[in-house]
Amino acid sequence: MTFLEPIYLVGLPLAALPVVIHLVHLWRRKPIPWAAMMFLRIAQQRHRGLSQLRQILVLALRVLAVACVLLSIARPLAGGWLGLTGGAPDSVLVLLDRSASMEQHPTSLPTSKRQAALQKVSKTIRQSSGDRSKVILLDSASLHPLLLTQPEALLDVPHSGPTDTHSDLPALLQGALDYLASHPSGRTDLWVLSDLQKTDWDRSSGRWQNLRSAFAALPGVRFHLFALPQPPEDDLGIRLENVSRKTGGDRAELQFDLFLQRQSAPTSPQKIPLRFIINGVATTSNLTLKDSQTAVHAFSLPLDKSLLRGWGRVELPADSNPSNNTFHFVFEPPPPLRSVIVSEDPDATVPLQAALSSPPEPGREFPSTLLSPDRAHEIPWDDTALLVWNAPFPKPGTPLHHQFLDHVAAGRALLLLPPQTPEDSELFGLRWTRWEEAARPVSPDWWKNDSDLLANTRDGTALPVGTLEIQRFCGVSGAFIPLALLPGRLPLLLRPATEKNVFFLATHPNPGGSSLSRDGVVLFALLHRALAEGAQSLGQAQHRIASALPDSTTAPWKPVDGSTPLGTPSDQLALRAGILQSGSHLLALNRAPAEDLHEYLSPETLRELFAGLDARVLTDTLEDSRDLTSEIWRTFLFGMALALLAEAILCLPSSTRPQRQDSPTAGFATAPPSR
Amino acid sequence: MRESRSFLDPAVLARLMALPLHARHAMLGSVSGKHRSPVRGSSLEFAQYRKYVPGDDTRRLDWRTWGRSDRFYIKEFEADTNLRLCLLLDTSGSMAFRPAPPMPTELSRLEFALRIAGSLAYLAAKQGDAVGLSSMSDTGTPVSIPARRGAGHLGLVLDQMSKLTPAGGTTLVESLHRVAETLRQRALVLIVSDFFVPTAELHHAIQHLRFRKHDIAAFHLLDRQELEFDFEKPARFVDLEGGESLLADPTLIARNYRAAVAEYLSALDSLVRNSGIDYHRVLLHEPYEPALAKFLLGRSPKKAGR
Repeated sequence: MTFLEPIYLVGLPLAALPVVIHLVHLWRRKPIPWAAMMFLRIAQQRHRGLSQLRQILVLALRVLAVACVLLSIARPLAGGWLGLTGGAPDSVLVLLDRSASMEQHPTSLPTSKRQAALQKVSKTIRQSSGDRSKVILLDSASLHPLLLTQPEALLDVPHSGPTDTHSDLPALLQGALDYLASHPSGRTDLWVLSDLQKTDWDRSSGRWQNLRSAFAALPGVRFHLFALPQPPEDDLGIRLENVSRKTGGDRAELQFDLFLQRQSAPTSPQKIPLRFIINGVATTSNLTLKDSQTAVHAFSLPLDKSLLRGWGRVELPADSNPSNNTFHFVFEPPPPLRSVIVSEDPDATVPLQAALSSPPEPGREFPSTLLSPDRAHEIPWDDTALLVWNAPFPKPGTPLHHQFLDHVAAGRALLLLPPQTPEDSELFGLRWTRWEEAARPVSPDWWKNDSDLLANTRDGTALPVGTLEIQRFCGVSGAFIPLALLPGRLPLLLRPATEKNVFFLATHPNPGGSSLSRDGVVLFALLHRALAEGAQSLGQAQHRIASALPDSTTAPWKPVDGSTPLGTPSDQLALRAGILQSGSHLLALNRAPAEDLHEYLSPETLRELFAGLDARVLTDTLEDSRDLTSEIWRTFLFGMALALLAEAILCLPSSTRPQRQDSPTAGFATAPPSR
Repeated sequence: MRESRSFLDPAVLARLMALPLHARHAMLGSVSGKHRSPVRGSSLEFAQYRKYVPGDDTRRLDWRTWGRSDRFYIKEFEADTNLRLCLLLDTSGSMAFRPAPPMPTELSRLEFALRIAGSLAYLAAKQGDAVGLSSMSDTGTPVSIPARRGAGHLGLVLDQMSKLTPAGGTTLVESLHRVAETLRQRALVLIVSDFFVPTAELHHAIQHLRFRKHDIAAFHLLDRQELEFDFEKPARFVDLEGGESLLADPTLIARNYRAAVAEYLSALDSLVRNSGIDYHRVLLHEPYEPALAKFLLGRSPKKAGR
């Protein structure tokens, strides 16, 4: 049993008050001078057992009554039959983490974390409030509140089904807050069902402060944080990257980077069977796993040369976390990686065009077009993976501005270089300020080398960013994420906080600006990585993280590989990993990479996130089949009433009043002993 | 100290004067009186004939019997002697018990006892009997006045009575044994007490007195509350004899209490029957005069007076 207000338990010694009062009263009773003590002693001795038992019972009941009051003040929580007496809230909002990691389950149990949490919570809601409370489901995948007819519907509705999405718990709580703001209610219980995966909770986000303040202002809101932070047992996960179809001579092959990750390192090298299914045809290949993780770059599978496009998946043997045992992919002949450079100073951007048109992969086209700003309408937006813009920002509201936004929204890349004369206009929350001339060339003293454009190479070698020499650079203002910084924390390469495929380069590659063109390695890697980023959404076969359906095509999406369960509603299709097809478009949906990280928030951290709110943390395990707890202070009050009633009955005067016939004085005066 | 001799009610005494105090057994008095003596004397009441032995007073020869039987017989007559009334007053703490206010009298047990003992002392003295007094308590100096005759001695006894106060534990049994040992001549031993002692011990003491051929009379003073134990609420019962107090809930123990009292009274009745003492159980809320009258009438000789 736990308590919501355990501080009141310090008053438990007060339960001994009846005993103390009893002892005090013993010596404050009315004294009666008495002579016939010999009879009194005999009577006491004969009655001692029953009398003492009765007295002990009365005192125990009084102590129990006081203890019940104190315990009820401390707001006890209990499960099982004891937990059936909790009060019913007006509304129960179930916030469900539907991320892929919630599908984890022990090999011995068929129930996933999500199912176990839903079962227990629905049962608890049924037991505690029956049909008296309004039950609303808010899931992390759709963020749309769904009013349920009964608690058991939590287990049946599609909006509580499994997904391979990533959860954003702050956004889920914001959704609950929005719902409560638009649907004012009395007492509201918020059940948050999650596995506490760190990446889902984003504990460092600034949104938490706002959420805490907003919820604290809402009266009668209580949080029940039902956590299942149980790491999977011996989980093995697989992930593919850079899936592409390669041709060479008379053969074709499917090439990708393969990553295997195990929860714990095997004691001896372990052979892992990988089952590849391409267009419905399965092949098996073995891979030896020597450490907790293995990465195989440029893993290739032979393809029929006539097979230009298709879909497939790779599968691992079943384990406790089925969500990361499969990875889906699609392929097609790689589309040309087209880039367009729009510059007001064509001479300054010639090195850019030279780098972009140099093919890093044989057999693939890298067309690059150089345009002046007045010819921006000639940009082939549909085929352009990367747009390099070296001119003033387009004015908001203009068609060109809209085309910029659409280009970025479609997942294409945008690299912005400062114009010769910076203007007072913004794009993606950032603006160029003014050019700075360095007295002598400066070099970047920090750059982000673990990811993004300046990341180390696959073999871990760092790009020679530190050897660059920057003579002239332009300042940037606004909220951004730096990718490279000059001394004094001046940004050299950055991207807006809100967009991950938009980049700002604060200098020019020509000799007057920097040594980027002279030391072309960094420029080449930077441009082609940006180009690859934009190319991900290029073509008709694309890879995406399972999330809301793309709406770029008019034809409905349909599953094609059979891995999606039959009867899955159309609005839930994109939430599951699998292959979807819409017309000529193929879409491979997979879980978010963050879902493979088995790092969980501790209950203490969780309490910190809900500090100041009426929240309790219920940490559970999948193996624990007991019911959840609920507040049972009413039970204790009822127990107190029962104890007082029993005490009153025990204290009632004896119903057998002395009868005169039995009295020793009956016939006393007239019956002296006969001699 | 209570007002001297206030326990004597002249009206009650005047009414009781008509009832003489008789001994139920022969007494060995020092002077002539109203009571039978085991020795033969010169009263008018014939006792027996016995054979003449040399040395007998020839004036007591019954010549008529000699004439009929030609044998010498001495004709003997009963001797009348006086009575030694030995008053034994229990002055232990329990004698301070006073009935609860609803009762018609508010006399304590000792005050009640003094009225009985004082009245009998007065009546005995008035008819020429000797009166003595002994108090029974383990606290203070016990009063022990040997039985003597005379108005002056009665005054001493009554004055000592007025000075008695209840305190300490009872020494009833020990006092009875002591009196049995010290009282050499036959006497009427009148015990006034609550008799809150084990009946077995009391039985031995009474037998001791009986062995000394004393006439034993007892006034057992009890209160109705002591018998019925009719209390409503739990209370602390304070021992009047100085023992530890007891916390008790009368509603729970009343039945057992009454059973204990009944057993005690039954044992006491058995003792009375076996030892032949003149026993009178008196309730404190009742007037003492009827009890005294009953006592005096009960001791009157069954046949016609002399």
